[in-house]
Amino acid sequence: MVQGRNNSQETVRVDFRFRRELAQKLEGNLASFCYQCGACVGDCPATTYSGTFNPREIMLKVLYGLGEELLTEDSILWQCTNCYNCHERCPQEVKPVEVIISLKNMLADRGIIPPSAQKIIETFETTGRTTPISSAVHKQRERFGLPPLQPVPMDEIRALIEPASKGGDTA
Amino acid sequence: MKRFAFFPGCLIPARHPAMEFAIRSTLPKLGIEIVDLEGASCCPDPIYFKSKDKISWLAVAARNLCLAEDIGVDIFTNCSGCTATLSETYHLLQDLELRAQVNERLKRIGKEYRGTARVRHIATLVRDEVGYEVIRQSVVRPLEDLKVAIHYGCHLLKPSRIMQVDDPNNPTVLEHLVSALGANPVRHRNWYLCCGKACQTEEVPLNMMHDLLGAVCSEHADILCLICPTCYGQFDHGQMKVSRQFDEEFETPPIYYFQLLAFAQGVPYDKLGFERQRFKPECLRRFEMATAETAAPSSGDVHTE
Ligand code: SF4
Ligand code: SF4
Repeated sequence: MVQGRNNSQETVRVDFRFRRELAQKLEGNLASFCYQCGACVGDCPATTYSGTFNPREIMLKVLYGLGEELLTEDSILWQCTNCYNCHERCPQEVKPVEVIISLKNMLADRGIIPPSAQKIIETFETTGRTTPISSAVHKQRERFGLPPLQPVPMDEIRALIEPASKGGDTA
Repeated sequence: MKRFAFFPGCLIPARHPAMEFAIRSTLPKLGIEIVDLEGASCCPDPIYFKSKDKISWLAVAARNLCLAEDIGVDIFTNCSGCTATLSETYHLLQDLELRAQVNERLKRIGKEYRGTARVRHIATLVRDEVGYEVIRQSVVRPLEDLKVAIHYGCHLLKPSRIMQVDDPNNPTVLEHLVSALGANPVRHRNWYLCCGKACQTEEVPLNMMHDLLGAVCSEHADILCLICPTCYGQFDHGQMKVSRQFDEEFETPPIYYFQLLAFAQGVPYDKLGFERQRFKPECLRRFEMATAETAAPSSGDVHTE
């Protein structure tokens, strides 16, 4: 099922550089415990409703180190609905959804983020919120007797999301 | 009164103030005092910002938890996304090595995470700290014969190893909460599906919502009860979109549980912001007429005591 391998090659060469990079991400290394049972697939809505997505196959590609098949502009990773069913079902506590999010971190490191997601990330990074506040919002709140929303202390948020200077703090 | 820190997140305060109003109106009637958290930011969201950089996501979430730790109270959330982020953070930071790493970041702003503030979704909070019976007693307008379909969504229950709320394969908490209002909860055949909002392609959420709405519809429920503003968007605006795309008529009004509770506790229909919904729960008006006949004046103030 893993596509894109060179058919003339008999053996798979594991790309350990990719595996090491993924292991740097929080819970990225959990894929190592996957024994390919497929328990994560049955209740996965992205598998049910798309022809291309399958968490077991994604874990297999990770195990084989076929990262470049996953880290593409039109990556299937963003089909995941974050429902956590796979996390619930996996007997090995692989947390496939967390591995998928770690892979998305690698996509982001390569500057690949879907525009819809990028917009929300930017709103958060500039205002500390994902839903922008406007005068219309204040007016609506007033109608319900609710106080206006206070600005988020952005100096603190900015300080926190700044990467560590020596790059050593990615779990 | 038991005191809890309210973590409202981004979506409810900005887009759905009626939901926040309902929370502030109902909790004091159940003996819960709401403590507002000063300086809280986005949780941050478990879909977008987490996908960019998990460690930064964890650091900002830990800062939000620190705000509650500093005043010595536990936190409740009102959105499944915030619940996901803050509960996972609480869980992950029990690992002392990771905690030390996050505290290195928090040191930049003079904070330290200690792991003393527990996180709960508001539905779990009222179940555990108030109880179904007290909720039942707070109802002045029993919603008899109201058929209520239930949507659990992603993160009230799952992952159960972290949430420890209810059996994820056969949950009952929302059914009990709805029954406490005198209404009849119904479980539809696709109850375990999430709302699909996190998915960044068209195909998956559209087809999934179609199946979900088909299941809800076949139960002929009066309303659909949910506990997350993101799910709400999928069932309000989203329901219209799916109806149009498939040329089918889905029209079950979605309601956030605490608005339904507020209504059952006597807050007038017209004060609950239902006119802003695309699918309006007009079916509730019959209970207002019934109570008007038996004359029970009620208040819709935010700080009712
Ligand atoms: S359920 Fe776990 S062990 Fe089984 S295939 Fe999925 S990730 Fe691998
Ligand atoms: S979280 Fe993603 S991969 Fe896991 S079951 Fe849900 S849609 Fe599938």
